[in-house]
Amino acid sequence: MAHIALAIRTDNLTKIYYMGWGRYQVGVRDLSLEVEEGQIFGLVGPNGSGKTTTLKLLLGLIFATSGDAEVLGEPMGSPRAKQRVGYLPEGPYFYEHLTAPELLRMYASLFGLGGRQFESRIQELLELVDMWDHREQRVANYSRGMRQRVGVAQTLINEPDLLFFDEPTAGLDPIGARDIREVILRLRGEGKTIFLCSHLLKEMEPICDNIAILDRGELVGQGGVEELLAGEEQRYRVELRSPSEEMLAGLEQVADEVVWLDDTCRALFADRQAAFEAAARADDEGGHLLAVGPDRRTLEEVFIDAVGEVAPDASDL
Amino acid sequence: MRAIYRVARATYYEGWRRRFLNGILVFAILIIGSSWVFTYLQPGAELKMLIDVGLGSIRFFGMLIAVFLGTRLIPDEIEKRTIYTLLSKPVTRMQFLLGKYFGGLATVISNVALMGATFYVVFLVKAPQFAQPTEEGSPVYSMEFMYENIAKAIVLNFVELAVVMAIAVVASVVFSWILAAIVSFFVYFVGQMSEFFGHLADPETTANPVARMILLTIYRVLPHFENFDVRESILTDIPVIWPYMGKVAAMGALYVAVVLALGYLFFNQREV
Repeated sequence: MAHIALAIRTDNLTKIYYMGWGRYQVGVRDLSLEVEEGQIFGLVGPNGSGKTTTLKLLLGLIFATSGDAEVLGEPMGSPRAKQRVGYLPEGPYFYEHLTAPELLRMYASLFGLGGRQFESRIQELLELVDMWDHREQRVANYSRGMRQRVGVAQTLINEPDLLFFDEPTAGLDPIGARDIREVILRLRGEGKTIFLCSHLLKEMEPICDNIAILDRGELVGQGGVEELLAGEEQRYRVELRSPSEEMLAGLEQVADEVVWLDDTCRALFADRQAAFEAAARADDEGGHLLAVGPDRRTLEEVFIDAVGEVAPDASDL
Repeated sequence: MRAIYRVARATYYEGWRRRFLNGILVFAILIIGSSWVFTYLQPGAELKMLIDVGLGSIRFFGMLIAVFLGTRLIPDEIEKRTIYTLLSKPVTRMQFLLGKYFGGLATVISNVALMGATFYVVFLVKAPQFAQPTEEGSPVYSMEFMYENIAKAIVLNFVELAVVMAIAVVASVVFSWILAAIVSFFVYFVGQMSEFFGHLADPETTANPVARMILLTIYRVLPHFENFDVRESILTDIPVIWPYMGKVAAMGALYVAVVLALGYLFFNQREV
């Protein structure tokens, strides 16, 4: 069996916060994850589900109550692991008196990087996040989106093997969010591992290879995105826009289930052959065929199934 | 060292951007710059008044800046979450703590240097007028060592503020920043009277052994801030000798090292 290199391994990682007055709160409980190198791993869950707690544990910003974890083969939070890691916190803040190049120089120096040759790297990173034209401005004058972009640039300053992104597109406009997603995909293309935390499921679905779902600190679902979206029972669907009554009656006879989504009729089939035959028939009869193929659930549906209720931030889903 | 320097440098420039502290500095410079005005309140003792108001203001406002800055340095990093991007890089908590301390101290020393320079100018202009010879020919004040002593007093003030700053930074790691400020002020004001506690701890003064032990502990644990105040030597024109300066500076450095080491023990366990 081929050996799979792991970027992150957690073993029953548990964090219980003491809230004072004898009260405790679960951050995460018995979290066991394996993140393979070179993939985009998404940790999803509603607010307060333990995503950021997990990130902070892995980076050594807080300490585990029990359990253990390794990051790039080193104990979590160790200086050797931090040498090879980049981290974008949620809503990142930086020293406001600095410009973007000064900020990157400061972070670079913490890795022992710098010098005249390094200036081209700074330019390259700021161009990557589309901030080169704003290099003269101080962080104090940046919009949230600009801070986020500089935040992404600072995670890459040491050419890390593993990147932690916490809600990287939260609060960004659609173009900003798309740009960040493109950067993430490009990084995966370069062989880097990306650990992504977000509750924006629609954004996670197309870019993640594997996903883990956290709810109230516990792991309630985990697997490859394709595998999760396909579900345990593979079905096929035919979608038609406003079919005629005869066409609809024909579909209802052969399909396992027919559901309506606005003016779209979705017929579901257990048998692949039956689905394609029904689609061909509808097409021959002049129906407006929208789609035929495997019936994939959305990540939102998977998430709600796993969590058991609509997430508190359903408006963001 | 590089990480300490980088954190300290960023802290120094951030320190100058705190408007509240800028306000204290401007107010202090106004008071110190007009300290000669107060001499009219005490005819015949103008020089004493000038020195008391000038050096007293430098000590008081320097302490205010050290406490308010010191107690905010680390809590602000946590509240603003700038600490995340720093501690997720190869920066140890010790390096971070030292960087914050030295950066904050550099800000305080720069502030106090400005106050000291203002006072020195006022003193150079006004002091000779107050030290005119009397009709009998003897000067009201001897000024043989006075200029040098004032410079030494300001240097000792730097050391004193290094101690105050260490207490403030470490207190902010252990307590909330408001409580840390209260603790820092308490230590500063009680530390001004440490000799008094030493005197009270004498068996001839206090018979109760428990009370004596408490007083002796306060005397031994708290910094002896009165040692940094050499205004009496300035007024009597007794030279503040270098061995005394060295001894006080060494004691201050030792105190800072112990306080920061204790602070590290707390900060190393602290979750951010």
